[in-house]
Amino acid sequence: MRILVIEDEIKVANFIKKGLEEEHYAVDTALDGESGLYMSEVNDYDLIVLDLMIPKIPGLDVLRRIRSNKNKVPILVVTAKHSAEDIVKGLDSGCDDYLTKPFEFKVFLARVRALLRRERVDAEPILKLADLILSPVTHRVTRGGKEIELTSKEYGLLEYFMRNPNKVLTRTMISEHVWDYHFDSMTNVVDVYVNYLRKKIDKGFEPKLIHTIRGVGYILSPDRP
Amino acid sequence: MDFRSLRFKLTLWYVLILGILLISFSSFLYLTLSRSLYRDVDHKLRSLAELIASESTSPSSKFGFGNIDQALEASMNLKPIGKFIQVLDESGRIGRTSENLKSVQLPISLNALRNGSKGLITYETNHSLRNTPLRIITYPVKEQNQVTKMIQVASSLEDVEDALNTLLIILIVTVPSILMIASLGGQFLANKALKPVDRITQTARMITSQNLNQRIQTLKVKDEISRLIDTFNEMISRLDQSFRQIKQFTTDASHELKTPLTILKGEVEVALRKKRPLHEYEQILESNLEEIDRMSKIVEDLLLLSKADIGEIRLNREDIHLTRFIRGLTEQMKILAQPKNIRIEISNHQDEIHVFGDTLRMRELFINLIENGIKYTEAGGSILITLTKETDPPPEALRRAGGSLNPLTPKERKAATFAKIIVEDTGIGIAKEDQEKIFNRFFRVDKARSREQGGSGLGLSICKWIVEAHQGEITVQSEPGKGSSFIVKLPLYSQQGESLDNY
Repeated sequence: MRILVIEDEIKVANFIKKGLEEEHYAVDTALDGESGLYMSEVNDYDLIVLDLMIPKIPGLDVLRRIRSNKNKVPILVVTAKHSAEDIVKGLDSGCDDYLTKPFEFKVFLARVRALLRRERVDAEPILKLADLILSPVTHRVTRGGKEIELTSKEYGLLEYFMRNPNKVLTRTMISEHVWDYHFDSMTNVVDVYVNYLRKKIDKGFEPKLIHTIRGVGYILSPDRP
Repeated sequence: MDFRSLRFKLTLWYVLILGILLISFSSFLYLTLSRSLYRDVDHKLRSLAELIASESTSPSSKFGFGNIDQALEASMNLKPIGKFIQVLDESGRIGRTSENLKSVQLPISLNALRNGSKGLITYETNHSLRNTPLRIITYPVKEQNQVTKMIQVASSLEDVEDALNTLLIILIVTVPSILMIASLGGQFLANKALKPVDRITQTARMITSQNLNQRIQTLKVKDEISRLIDTFNEMISRLDQSFRQIKQFTTDASHELKTPLTILKGEVEVALRKKRPLHEYEQILESNLEEIDRMSKIVEDLLLLSKADIGEIRLNREDIHLTRFIRGLTEQMKILAQPKNIRIEISNHQDEIHVFGDTLRMRELFINLIENGIKYTEAGGSILITLTKETDPPPEALRRAGGSLNPLTPKERKAATFAKIIVEDTGIGIAKEDQEKIFNRFFRVDKARSREQGGSGLGLSICKWIVEAHQGEITVQSEPGKGSSFIVKLPLYSQQGESLDNY
């Protein structure tokens, strides 16, 4: 899951990025409204964390412009503005949730998970496919009751697959949602990681879940395409 | 009706004054009239008595025959109506009387007799004879300097008393009625005049810190009440403005403090989520210390400014040799400027510039200004400090003087020479629209840059306070991309021990 953090306070942006990355999310940061808006337009984010008091383009304007682009990405506003009017204004301008500074990092993470869940129809806190289970809260992955140890990137990749089951995912989509913008698209890193993941979740289990769609990408599905 | 109300008091005073006026007028009227009526009676009695006396002593008179009425008619063709006449001899024995007295005698008092024998006229009022009092004149008649007889003429005072009584009744009835009507009228007038005051009261009562945008409706007529309303509205505007400023200030202050708090909390919480290598903890603690220092600086500056606001800071003013003072400061500041390779230079045309200031605050002022210059100037730039004397009068003295009507006092004229200190940098400059806001608390042209440099956002506000506490003035001139000049004007201290108080 790829997240954009628009926050002008470098240290705040940095600890949010660090904390999210340690939860296996891919995180980009923008230090002002202008670059934040630009990044939201060129990349496909699963969530945007937005501060309201940012230079160049104010946060509320960034919010409105993202929405006027028909972009439905969940937006979590994190700001020091805490009056009722500010919260109402923020929500009415199109944000999905509102968190005031200073905040509990645990709460922040829970809200991030909740907003990511909102995109799915079933909206269950636990992701399930056949006998494969992934818990975004504890980061535990099991198949047939057996614990599976994953690296951070493998976990991020599997979470993205499980949030989009039975859907063909291209290499570009995968790289955009699992890696941050430092990703070099000319390499075959995606294929390498998909193979790592396949070894861990499909080897010794039936049915096979990860399938290659030649020339396009991959699909996570209990049925053979 | 509320007896403490202005309405009641106004009416009461109005009625009281009117009452006093009416009663004095009525008393005056009554007394004057009664005096004039009584005098009139006396006058008539005396002229009749004189007439009778002259007739009775005239040798050619026919007065000697019959009773007095006949005698008067015969001698003067006079028929006095309502007058009682009686003639006495010098010892008081009654001689002839007028017919209307019938068998009654006019009373004669000892006093009148004694006066009469001395040749003096006596007026008396006698109540004993009839129901109505009688006014009696006892008039001695002299022949060869000898009182030979006395003539008494009397008249009833009934008419006079009737007239006076009627007047009294009229006054007793009309004065209270007029007062009653006047009190109603007074109440009406007071009500009318005070109605806008009620409106003011209502509006004023509704106004709280939440709805300071309300105003009292103004009147078309420009009278005292409308002036009161205008004054009220102006006061509400001022309150509104200061409330807004306080609110803005609180919001800004809380935001400024929340940022380091967010960083502290966030960094620590993220760090504690798992075990980390030692150097990471060290990094986090260093960063935390930075934020704590930042917060202390903000809190310190806030405390200073709020103390300054309530006037709790006393300046320890003394003679400062400004040229020497700034040279010393500049030497220290050069250490700060060195890493960025910024030159600091002083140019001054007069060596002897003295100001009367608090050394500590002056240090703070110029360190702040020079530090700002260093912060916002790119490496390799320069800061120029210019010291001159100016002859502009101090702004507040000019304001007070209000043109040429009140010329400056000699003391002010003496103080009208200023030390002008310009701190000029070759930095990034300040946009025109930001120049007036730059002294506002927590105002920052570039928030991120200012925080990177460790500023509290209050430095220039503190500078402004220091300069103004020294009766000076601070302004900024700047062109974006070229640099900024901060211009400080401070009143000069008179030199060579010449005290201002000699003037």
